[in-house]
Amino acid sequence: MVANQSPILEMRNARKAFGGVQALNGADLTLYAGEIHALLGENGAGKSTLLKALAGVHKIDSGTITLNGKPFEQGSTRLAREQGIAVIYQEPSLFPDLTLAENVFVGRQLQSGFTVNWKAMEDEANKLFAQLGVKLDATSSARGLSIADQQIVEIAKALSTKATVIVMDEPTAALSSKEVDRLFQVARNLASQNCAVVFVSHRLDEVFALCSRITVMRDGATVGTELTKDMNESKVIQLMVGREVSELYPKLEAKIGDVVLKVESLGLAGQFTDISFEVRAGEIVGLAGLVGSGRSEIVRAIFGVDKYDKGSVTLNGKKLKPGNPSAQMVSGVALVPEDRRQQGLFMSSSINRNSAVTMLKRLSKLFIIREKSEAKLAKSWGETLSLKYATGFDPVERLSGGNQQKVVLAKWLATEPKLLIVDEPTRGIDVGTKAEVHRLLSKKAQDGVAIVIVSSELPEVMGMADRILVMREGRMVGQFDRSAATPEKIIAVATGASTS
Amino acid sequence: MKTAMTKLFRIRELPVFLALVIVVLITGTANPEFFTLSGFQDITLGVAVVATLAVAQTLVIVMKHIDLSVGSTIGFSAYLIGDASSQGHGFWYCMGLALALGLAVGAANGFMVAYLQLPSLVVTLGTLYIVRGIFNEVAGGNTITEDMVPGPINFIGLNTFFGIPYLFIVAVVLMLIVGFIMKRIRSARDLYAIGSNLLAAELGGIPVARRVFLAFLATGAVSGLAGAVLLARFNTAAANSGNGLELSVVAACVVGGVAIAGGVGTVYGAVIGAILLQAITMALGALGIPQFWQLAVNGTLLIAAISLDRYLSTRVKPTSIMGAK
Repeated sequence: MVANQSPILEMRNARKAFGGVQALNGADLTLYAGEIHALLGENGAGKSTLLKALAGVHKIDSGTITLNGKPFEQGSTRLAREQGIAVIYQEPSLFPDLTLAENVFVGRQLQSGFTVNWKAMEDEANKLFAQLGVKLDATSSARGLSIADQQIVEIAKALSTKATVIVMDEPTAALSSKEVDRLFQVARNLASQNCAVVFVSHRLDEVFALCSRITVMRDGATVGTELTKDMNESKVIQLMVGREVSELYPKLEAKIGDVVLKVESLGLAGQFTDISFEVRAGEIVGLAGLVGSGRSEIVRAIFGVDKYDKGSVTLNGKKLKPGNPSAQMVSGVALVPEDRRQQGLFMSSSINRNSAVTMLKRLSKLFIIREKSEAKLAKSWGETLSLKYATGFDPVERLSGGNQQKVVLAKWLATEPKLLIVDEPTRGIDVGTKAEVHRLLSKKAQDGVAIVIVSSELPEVMGMADRILVMREGRMVGQFDRSAATPEKIIAVATGASTS
Repeated sequence: MKTAMTKLFRIRELPVFLALVIVVLITGTANPEFFTLSGFQDITLGVAVVATLAVAQTLVIVMKHIDLSVGSTIGFSAYLIGDASSQGHGFWYCMGLALALGLAVGAANGFMVAYLQLPSLVVTLGTLYIVRGIFNEVAGGNTITEDMVPGPINFIGLNTFFGIPYLFIVAVVLMLIVGFIMKRIRSARDLYAIGSNLLAAELGGIPVARRVFLAFLATGAVSGLAGAVLLARFNTAAANSGNGLELSVVAACVVGGVAIAGGVGTVYGAVIGAILLQAITMALGALGIPQFWQLAVNGTLLIAAISLDRYLSTRVKPTSIMGAK
C-alpha cells in the first residue's frame, strides 16, 4: 500500500435509515489495492449494513461510494458483483444440492453457445480450488461441506468474478485454528494479487495478526481508521465501545462446593472415548480443543441430545438417563447450544416466547400458556441481561446476534440450573456484549452453579475457567489448573504437537 | 473405475430405475403376458398423461413449490379442445385454446406465488377449485364423445410407431426437451438454485420472482397443451376429467427423486417414477392382486422414496480441506 496510490474503493459519509433506526450515520471506508483491512465495531454498529451496501443489497440514502474512480452503481447484488465487489457472508450462502462447480458459477454458468458447458465449469472451478490450495472436488455437491470449505468455495466464486474488493464477514467465527491459518494464507494471497480484502472479526488477536489497517465503527459512523501498527487492543476496544471496558474476563471469586457433575468413562463410538471429569458447585470448567475434537459432542451427550454407548453421567449423586434432554432439564441441567440460530432459538417467535419456552410447564395453568407471565419473565431477564429490544412481542430474528445470544441465555438461566453448559457462548458477538456474558457466567458461578464452558477462543477459556480440560480427537489429553495454563501449553496438547 | 462407480451411485434416479426393473422382472416371470407387446403398450399408454404432467411439475417442485392446479387445467383443456372441434374449429385453433387456458392458469399461479409471495400450495389449491368450478359451469352435464375429438388427436391416441404408442413418444420427447433445458440452459439452472437455497439465490443476484413466474407459466402451458394427451388417451372428456391427477403427478415426481424439499431431481426421474407407479398398478393386476392394494402400494412406495432420500442425504460424506478429519 503506497501512500500516493489512489484508493480502489472510497465510501464517504454514507447514511442509511431503516424506519426510525439510523443504521449508517456517516460511515467512511477507504480501501487500497493489496491491503487487508479490518472493519470493527460492536454488534449494531452498522458493519452489516455497510457490507450490504457494498454488496448491493441495500442502497444508501445519502453519501458517495466510488469504485476504481467511478461512482459505484447501486441497486442489485448482480450489479455489485459485476463491478468487482464480492461479499462472503458470515453464513456462507451455498446451494447444498448443486455441485461445487455450479456453486462457483451460479447465475453466470459458463456457456458454449447458448448452453451450459459443465466440463469447462468443472475445470475452471478445480483450477480455482487448486489456486487456493485446497482439495475439493468440483463435481461433488455442496451438502455437508464444513464451514471452512464453504468459505473457500465462496472465495473461489469471488475470484471467478475477478473481484477486486473481497469482503469477508466474520469468516473465522466457526473455524478451528488450523482452518484459520489456512484462511489467512488465502487472504494474504488475495491481497498479494492486488485485491483489497475487508476482514470483519470480533477476534482482535486475528485482526492484529492479519490486517494492515483498521477501521472502527460505532453507532453507524466511522470513528477512526488507523494503521494496525499504530493501534493496540485497548485502543481499539475503547474506540469500539466509546468508553473503557473495565475487563473482558471479569472472573469473580466463587466458593467451590460439592461435586455437581460427575462424568465417568463416557464414550460414544466415533465421537469420543473414555471421558471422565467432575465439576463442582461454583466451579467453571473449560473444554478446549480444536473444532471437531469432540467438545460439543460430549456436552450434547451429557445434556441428553445424543446418546452415549459407555460410561455414566451423575448429577448431584443421581445417575442421569442417557438421551433424554427434558429429564435433564428437570434435574437442573441447562445447555446453551453452539449454534443459536438453529439450535437455540425459534427465530420467528417473539422474544417473550423464546425466553419463556423452557418454563412453559411452570408458567401454564391447565395447559394454557399465559402470555402475561411470559412477558413478565422475559422482562425481568431482559433487564438482568440489558437486552436491547423494542417490544417483547418482536420476533427474535429482528435482534442483533449479541442480543439473540442473551435471549438464549435468558431462557436457560430462567430454569435456575444447577449445571450450566455453554457451548461457544460468545461466538460472533461484540466485545461489550461478550464482557456482559462473561460477567453473568461469573456471577452464576458465584451463586453456586457448576459451569462447563466450551469455546474455540483460548483467551475466553483461560479467562473464565478454573480448570481447563483439553480434547484431541475424541480423547481428553490434558488438564490444566487456571494458574498453570498458558496458550502455548494448551495448543501444544490440543494439536498433539508434544506431550506435556 | 472408482470415480465411474461413485458417479453412478450419485445418480439420484438409480434406485427408482432399479425398482422399475425389479418390478417388471418379477411380474414378467410370474405372468409372461406382461412381457408381450400389449403388456408394454398398456404401461406406456397408461403412463403418458401422468408422465407429461410430471415433466411440467418438475419445473415447479425443484423450486420447492408445487402446482396442484394441473389436474383441473388438463381436464378443462381436454373438454375445450373437444368442444371447439365439435363446433367446427380446426386442430390448431383447438390447441391454441388449450395453450391459452394453460397460460392463463399458469400466469395466475405464477403472479400470486412470485409477486404476491403467497404459498404455492394454497394458491394452486385455490386455482384447482376455481378452474374446476368454471369447468363444471361450462361443461354442465355434457360429454365430449369420440366423434368430437379432432382427427390428429384421435390418431395419436390410437396408433403406434413401431409398436410404441404415439402418446408415449410425445411424453418422452417432451421429457428430453425439458431435460436438456434444465441441464443446459442457465435460466433453468436458476430453478435448482432457488429451490436449494432461496436466500442465497436472492443474494446471488438471481431474478427469483421472474424465474418463479416463468416456471409456473411453463407448467401451466404444458398442462394446457396436455389436454390433447388426455383427450387422445380416453377419447372422451367431461366435467370430472383430470380429477385428482395432480396427486398422481406429484407422487410420480417424488418417487422419481424430485425432492419436495427442492433443489434436486430431473424430469427423467419424474418420468421413471410415473412409469414405476403405472407398472406396479399393472403388475398387481397381472398377478391377480385385488385392486385396492394398488393405492396402498403406491403410498408405501412414496414413503419409501422419501425415506431413501432422507437416508442418502444424511449419508453424504463431508469432504474437508484439511484432508483427514
